[in-house]
Amino acid sequence: MRISTNTIYQTGINKISSLQSDQYKLQQQVSSGKRILTPADDPVGAARALTISQAQSINSQYADNRAMASFNLNSIESTLTSVTDLMVSAKSTLVSAGNAVLSSEEKNYISTQLSNDLQELIGLANTKDGNGNYLFGGFKNTTQPYTATTTGATYNGDSGQMDMQVSDTRRMSTTENGPDVFQAKGNDVFATLSNIVDLLANPATTTAALNTALASANTSLDKGLDNVLTVRAATGSKLKEIDSLDNNGDDRNLQYKAELSDIQDLDYAQALSDITKQKTILEAAQQSYVQLSGLTLFKYI
Amino acid sequence: MGSDILNIGKSALNAAQIGISVTGNNIANASSAGYNRQVISQSAAPSQNVGFGYLGKGAQVTSIERVYSALLAKQVNVSQARSTELTTYSSQISSINNMLADSSAGLSPALQDFFDSIQDLTNNPGSASSRQAMLSSSEALASRFQSLNSRLTEMQNSVNSQLNSSTSLVNSYAQQIASLNDSITKAIGSTGNPPNDLMDQRDLLVSKMSSQIKTTIVQSGDSYNVFVGNGLPLVVDKESYSLSVVNSPTDSTRLEVAYSGKGGTPIILGENSVTGGVLGGLIQFRNNSLDTTKNQLGQIAVSLTETFNAQQKLGLDLNGNAGVNYFNTITPTIRSNGNNTGNAVLAGSFTDASAVTTSDYSLTYNGGTNYSVKRLSDGTTTNFTSMPITIDGVSISVSSGTMNSGDNFLIQPTADAARQISVALTGTDQIAAASPLIAAKNSSNTGSGAISNLTVNSAYMASPFSSALTLTYNSGTGNLNGFPATEPVTVKTSSGATTTYAAGAAVPFTAGATYTVAGVSFTMGGTPSNGDSFTLTPSTGSSAGNNTNALLLAKLQTAGTVSGNKSYEAAFAQIVSAVGNKTSELQVTGAAETTLLEQAKAEMESNSGVNLDEEAANLLRYQQSYQAAAKVMQIASQMFDTLINIR
Repeated sequence: MRISTNTIYQTGINKISSLQSDQYKLQQQVSSGKRILTPADDPVGAARALTISQAQSINSQYADNRAMASFNLNSIESTLTSVTDLMVSAKSTLVSAGNAVLSSEEKNYISTQLSNDLQELIGLANTKDGNGNYLFGGFKNTTQPYTATTTGATYNGDSGQMDMQVSDTRRMSTTENGPDVFQAKGNDVFATLSNIVDLLANPATTTAALNTALASANTSLDKGLDNVLTVRAATGSKLKEIDSLDNNGDDRNLQYKAELSDIQDLDYAQALSDITKQKTILEAAQQSYVQLSGLTLFKYI
Repeated sequence: MGSDILNIGKSALNAAQIGISVTGNNIANASSAGYNRQVISQSAAPSQNVGFGYLGKGAQVTSIERVYSALLAKQVNVSQARSTELTTYSSQISSINNMLADSSAGLSPALQDFFDSIQDLTNNPGSASSRQAMLSSSEALASRFQSLNSRLTEMQNSVNSQLNSSTSLVNSYAQQIASLNDSITKAIGSTGNPPNDLMDQRDLLVSKMSSQIKTTIVQSGDSYNVFVGNGLPLVVDKESYSLSVVNSPTDSTRLEVAYSGKGGTPIILGENSVTGGVLGGLIQFRNNSLDTTKNQLGQIAVSLTETFNAQQKLGLDLNGNAGVNYFNTITPTIRSNGNNTGNAVLAGSFTDASAVTTSDYSLTYNGGTNYSVKRLSDGTTTNFTSMPITIDGVSISVSSGTMNSGDNFLIQPTADAARQISVALTGTDQIAAASPLIAAKNSSNTGSGAISNLTVNSAYMASPFSSALTLTYNSGTGNLNGFPATEPVTVKTSSGATTTYAAGAAVPFTAGATYTVAGVSFTMGGTPSNGDSFTLTPSTGSSAGNNTNALLLAKLQTAGTVSGNKSYEAAFAQIVSAVGNKTSELQVTGAAETTLLEQAKAEMESNSGVNLDEEAANLLRYQQSYQAAAKVMQIASQMFDTLINIR
């Protein structure tokens, strides 16, 4: 076949420039560490990488949510530990108040002690979380949940329980409202204590009336304590669940990372070997180009 | 006799000289664009009868011809048109591909940041800084939509200006070809010999035109008649006609290629009439990739705006007021055809975001009560008998004026949406994180009954409870009492069986069943004791800790909202994958077509191109012929001298 001189040059140049563009792409891949430089390099992979990276981002957001939830639940747990201690001590005080030989002065001391317990309990019910919001106010977490009254304490919050999304399928309530903790099933711990405080402080209270009141107060505190322990148990199991969700989330995160790396990351060994191979071919093409274009009859005439 | 020999020598000398000139010209033009090598055609001069036979009279050069094959040239031109079309499309779509390649500049990170900020808000719904973070990240998201859209608009403007310059080139080539037709015809007419250089120039122009648009050549006499598209004549003999660009009658922001004929009104050429070359590539890119990508991006913007607003309006803001639109409402773009005779102005709105497609629509009024709407993506036509009409989640009504029969409107639900999206909220308090109703069980309840999954819909927001709704369980009848006497109650059991109880009828308690009344829906669980009661209390005033609606807003991130089945992110991933696939396909087919073009060119060059070694050989050949001819003349002269010297 007859070949024009133009074709000889053009073909050589085309080949060299296509090799150079391959080389350039490899170079870009190596310097970025990425196999997919633009979506065109692997359309399916590029789209999957987006989906996975969203899943990964949501997963790490859930981890943040869990950290927050666990902080809230721990605040509840530590507050309720104090509440438990307080109630146990109030109970033994009640028992001592049943002693028939107590003078009215001594009853007054006990009344004062129980009154302090009541104030402390109201104080605990008004505990704030790390963000400065009240723990037991329901959704009204910027309003002080309990204010002391002559007959105990009134609740100013609502019945809301704040949920947090702690995994893609689990929404967990991470706050408790006051009535569920201190006034459950019609048993108002504040009213109970306030009533006993008044009876003990009043010299006119008969021993019989006092004993009846003490007995029912004892039952009430028992129920209250039971309820607090139930709430603590629920809180504890939520914390445990968060731990296991954390493990699960960490596993998933690793999985997403591995998948993303599989899709996007460059196989360096392969790429470097490709670069060397391309370099050899390019050099050969350049040499043959120079030698071929040097071949001309004009040299000899 | 001596002069005969001298003449023969002279003719040979002449022929060799012309040969050297032509070879020299070939060498000189070895790299000239469009040059076809020339050869001399040399023959024996007519011989003379000298009695005993015919005696040769030397050589003569009959013509200088270019080596040219119309067939090979046509192959190159056809391949040229196809290859340029593909490489133009490919290089245009590469801009979108590159725009999407930078993962930090796409929609994904902005979407993720936005929803992360909502999640953060659910953890601390009353915090001003969380609210500000959400508002800021939503503004960043809206501006990301806008910036992606504006880059696509820039590409559209660039297509417009390239269409303009490309048609000018075609027109200029057409004029030059027409004038060359004239010169060539005249030259051949007057001399009878082909003007090789003019013909080379004309073929080069045809080849250049082929790289702008698919071109068909019909040779008539010595002229080229040039046709483009579906047989539209651009050059006929020495007349040339022109292409032009005009504003689309339905969309003044885009230019269309039109054919002007001989000074007539430009007629817009359809997508199928402009094929091949730069023009074909640009039109294809615009119709198949640019518009689609813009519409797809707009579809996400519409979905996000509509679904987010809907959920936001089911909640209460920090001050206890019903939520208002989070994003400003997006309206579909409706353009009246410039040729309409009526003065109707149409307005559109979205009625169902999940039904919105990425297609454009064409509405035509056919007189009387005949309105037809064509979905342009698949050509499906739907007929209506009156306005307003609703199609694919878009409602279209006449806002003013009247239509005349034949009037036509272009409806683009999503094309402009990514530009329109913007945040409507002005203050952080307006984020509706709270739920309008709070469920509770009475604190004196002794059973384990509980309310969960409390949600409301827009019907509830339109007429919310004025006071708390208290439901009381009666173990004797097994009923839940206290439902509003004026509202029917629908109960869906956990197995999916649905029963509707008329307003005022007794409603039984079913554990695990979902109750729906007056736009409120909730699930009853556990085992209540007799007399246990449950309340649904309207949330009043500020409730800073109420994050229930924020949780539902956050859930939209993974909900099947776009087209009713894809999350926002998945819809964006689909754009990325579609653009990536098309780019990759064009890179492959473009490379294949370029190889074919190179082969066709090599074939043509193999016939018509200059080979310098060949020319070197020819140079030697003609040089030797010249020397030999000179020897003949020398011998003739010596013979004459010999004769003269005889005494």
